[in-house]
Amino acid sequence: MDEKKAAQVERLEKESAVLMQKIREETDIKKKRKLIAEREKKQRKITALRNNRLISREAKRDLVAYSFIAPNFIGFAVFTLIPIVFAFLLAFMDWDGSNAITFVGLKNFMKLPSDTFFVAALKNTIIYVVGTVPLTMIASLALAIVLNQKVRARGFFRTVAFFPYVASLVAITAVWSMIFHPSKGPVNYLLLTVFGVAQENLPKWFSGNLVLVTLILFSVWKYMGYYMVIYLAGLQGISAELYEAGSLDGANTWQKFKYITWPQLRSTTFFVVVMLTINCFKVYDIAVMLAGGGDGKLSTSATVLVYYIYQNAFNYWDLGYSSAIAMVLFLIVLVVTLIQFRYEKNLEA
Amino acid sequence: MKKKVVSVLLTAAMLTGLLAGCGAGGGDTQTAADNTADTAKTEAPADTAQTDSTADAADTADTTADAGEEVTLKWAIWDKDTTPYWQALKDAYEAANPNVTLEMVDLGSADYMTVLATELSGSGSDFDVVTIKDVPGYATLVSKNTLEPLDSYISAAGIDLSQYGGVDKQVTVDGSLYELPFRNDFWVVFYNKDIFDAANVPYPTNDMTFEEYDALARQVADPTFGSQIYGTHFHTWRSAVQLFGVLDGKHSILDGEYDFFKPYYELVLNEENDQICRNYADLSAEGLHYSAAFSGGDVAMMNMGSWFISTLISNIQSGEYDASLCGNWGMVKYPHAEGVEPGSTLGTITGLSVTSVSDHKDEAFKFVEWVSGAEGAKVMAETGNFPALMNDEVAGIISGLEGFPTDAESKEALSVSNLYLEVPYAENVSEINDILDTYHKSIMNQEMSIDEGIAKMNEEVGKVLGQ
Amino acid sequence: MSEKNEMKKYSSKSRNALIGKILLYAILIIITVVMIIPFLWMLSASIKSDREVFQMNPFVWIPEVPKWDNYIKIWTKIPMFKFVENTVFLTIVVTFLQLLTSSFAAYSFAKLEFKHKNALFLAYIATIAMPWQVYMVPQFIMMRAMGLNDKLLAMICLQAFSAFGVFMMKQFYEGIPSELCEAARIDGMSEYKIYAKIMLPLSKPALSTLTIFTFVSTWNDYLGPLIYLKTESKKTIQLGLKMFIGQYSSEYGLIMAGSVLSLIPVIIVFLCLQKYFVEGVASTGLKG
Repeated sequence: MDEKKAAQVERLEKESAVLMQKIREETDIKKKRKLIAEREKKQRKITALRNNRLISREAKRDLVAYSFIAPNFIGFAVFTLIPIVFAFLLAFMDWDGSNAITFVGLKNFMKLPSDTFFVAALKNTIIYVVGTVPLTMIASLALAIVLNQKVRARGFFRTVAFFPYVASLVAITAVWSMIFHPSKGPVNYLLLTVFGVAQENLPKWFSGNLVLVTLILFSVWKYMGYYMVIYLAGLQGISAELYEAGSLDGANTWQKFKYITWPQLRSTTFFVVVMLTINCFKVYDIAVMLAGGGDGKLSTSATVLVYYIYQNAFNYWDLGYSSAIAMVLFLIVLVVTLIQFRYEKNLEA
Repeated sequence: MKKKVVSVLLTAAMLTGLLAGCGAGGGDTQTAADNTADTAKTEAPADTAQTDSTADAADTADTTADAGEEVTLKWAIWDKDTTPYWQALKDAYEAANPNVTLEMVDLGSADYMTVLATELSGSGSDFDVVTIKDVPGYATLVSKNTLEPLDSYISAAGIDLSQYGGVDKQVTVDGSLYELPFRNDFWVVFYNKDIFDAANVPYPTNDMTFEEYDALARQVADPTFGSQIYGTHFHTWRSAVQLFGVLDGKHSILDGEYDFFKPYYELVLNEENDQICRNYADLSAEGLHYSAAFSGGDVAMMNMGSWFISTLISNIQSGEYDASLCGNWGMVKYPHAEGVEPGSTLGTITGLSVTSVSDHKDEAFKFVEWVSGAEGAKVMAETGNFPALMNDEVAGIISGLEGFPTDAESKEALSVSNLYLEVPYAENVSEINDILDTYHKSIMNQEMSIDEGIAKMNEEVGKVLGQ
Repeated sequence: MSEKNEMKKYSSKSRNALIGKILLYAILIIITVVMIIPFLWMLSASIKSDREVFQMNPFVWIPEVPKWDNYIKIWTKIPMFKFVENTVFLTIVVTFLQLLTSSFAAYSFAKLEFKHKNALFLAYIATIAMPWQVYMVPQFIMMRAMGLNDKLLAMICLQAFSAFGVFMMKQFYEGIPSELCEAARIDGMSEYKIYAKIMLPLSKPALSTLTIFTFVSTWNDYLGPLIYLKTESKKTIQLGLKMFIGQYSSEYGLIMAGSVLSLIPVIIVFLCLQKYFVEGVASTGLKG
């Protein structure tokens, strides 16, 4: 055994010497670097062998680090990365989940523009995002500023504001559809008796043009508590000295907000807007539960992209087409996020 | 390095794809993949696998189940606890065929066909017999090659398909039949006698035109706030409104031209505006179930499938429904258009199929044959359901059930002259069905006018049919 | 004179402050009402009969004869117990795995040097921006090929290894001074020991925050179980509740009783951990 090792060391040393020679002769700087790296590797191996270790210190270091990552990364790679790559490929295929897969190139994508349901879903999703993102942002920022003041029972108010986020969608949408029930709900009852809206003009909250408004209102209500917490964390990072300095200069509340709070919160706002945008594009369950009626089917006034992805995959088994729609969803999210990054960078510069 | 990671991932993904894809590709590879999947399945007890292979061997030697080999058939059903006939069928069949064990797998009724399609896709399924709940789902399963064509079995067993009254033709795919119906529900009008008595209005009859139906509803309705009585109730399904239009036998929902829906949409929407029936937006917002609507005691007439008979009878007996509100009910035949024979109605069939991956196709078909035949029909009727094989004896059993209305009209309502399937088979029936559903919603929610909605249906279904 | 002016200024200032305070509390109360009314309605409706739920004139929060048996009936109308059991099992396993594997991996990313660190971390970051719905279909096909369809294990695999958890924990660990680890290394502690003895005890706020996020999202998930869990005995409470609403749409009292029950566990977890919550969000760099 030892003899074998000694022979190996000898061989490695010889090779290393040859490499050294080569390095001296090499003029091209890139190639030279490569050779140097190669020689260093051999040298490390030699030290490892001499010190009677199986692997080098660096390799051991890497192994320890990998052992930390492995439990999560293996799961992550198998259940997230592989499906993502698969999704990209599937968008160019035709497959019903049973019969053979065929490659169809861009056919799935060509079909999209003339598909009424896809266009309606895209339109509704965009309207929903455009409505929800700014409203949620403003509401959660306002809430955070109010709850960052020194008030009594602050903990209680914060907890209450966070309740809707914690509550399960199924339960809470059931409540909403009762409160906003078109002919029996308390909201319309108030409109009828207090505000004198005629019975036939009472809003039908879950159909027609109003359904998207209801979805947006619901989302703002449900998610503002979550983003409020993020803003609260951001607000706590602003040093009190800035406000003191502002007070000394005679700034009023609005000026303090405009010149201190808002600029200081810029990176928080950026994070909130990016997360909100991504989350809003994923809207599915809210729409199905609020606008789906008894059978969970959405008409063209309430259909959203994820619903149509689900329909195509699990009802029509047109997996390629559903993947193509998913790619459109991904591209939109990607482009919007990139624009936001760009904007953020420009502001920084 | 990044490149390398990507390429490794790509290969991995491709491999998975191929594995899943090819496993389902050709017949031979599929069975091979299935076998491996079966052995890999931890939940399948080892001894079952043993029996399976011995049974396989027996199959090749002797195709009849009389050989006495133990066979377990895995059978997909829904709502085992609330649907009494599954257990009744299983018990009766196992008593007659002691070598067969039926293993029922409850997939729930909510998304049954979607779930079933998922189960049968690709490799890994080990169902032998599956229940087919609706035609769109059936179309999906057939196009995915997951069901076995039954023609050769049918001719070998000498089954006379005419006993099903022609519904078999409405689910024939390119000349082949992939299911045999065992349950057949048809639509009737249920009515609440107490409401008619209180309003001093004569009961509906077995021979009503749509005009008479509408007039009767308006006569009995009472829109006073707080004590509303609704003349009619139309459930949110499109079948409950649109399909009045196909009863003349001249139209079908596969036509691609839907102008014939118009008078019926007008009828229903006018009733809605005059508060003769509940409004669709409300129904959909609260997801009101039709049974809750009728058992609430404020609905005079409701068109619904015959499956509601056994629900009504058992729930009134158990006290689940308040008998003082809906206990005094009756039923009549569907209303009909001018000049059409009364008794034309809509039907929904429930069938059984044999899967193409089953290892016991012969035994599975024997079971399917039994359930859809005379013996199965008797079991169905005794549990208050309508078998596909309808004859006078069966009608007698049902109308003789305790709790069935005693008047002659209700008994007479059970005889059907023409039966049109709610959804007959077509290749793209799933898409067509969804398009019609969608615009039905838009029309009923009054997001679109009737004409706009129908124009949209024509346009979108035209696209699907044109493909 | 000037003194008087000062006084005036002072008193007007204090009056302004008072008005501000009143305004502040008014806003707070309005917000609280908007936030909490649906929950109060839920509680109130859960002890009413179906007819009383929509009775507006007069409207009462607590009916004269509260129907407490709604809370008993719900357990027998649907297999609620099974649903709760499944959901509790899933949520606990997922949360535990998520906390363990994320903090483990995050330690490595934050405090160790190794080959391909950046490339690996980039893989995590890139998927945070990828909506799950984009790859849910291929993921499902793959899981089914692995025989995980209709198994609770599928939901665990799906939710336990999120990129978000790793990202969050890494941000937090980076805020802990590296000198702590260095000192421990010099003392001859192994990396595993450093993680267990030094890092973990320090990461309470971050772990609490991650627990809340994971617990809430697993408990309330709907689309995932809808796709993967098919047989009734495997369904989660969200699916079960939705199914119940579909079947007994007009039994409002029962629906609300079920809803209240489904909220209790998440609210308990949230209330227990909330004191670390804002701190946790602040220290994990989630604020951007």
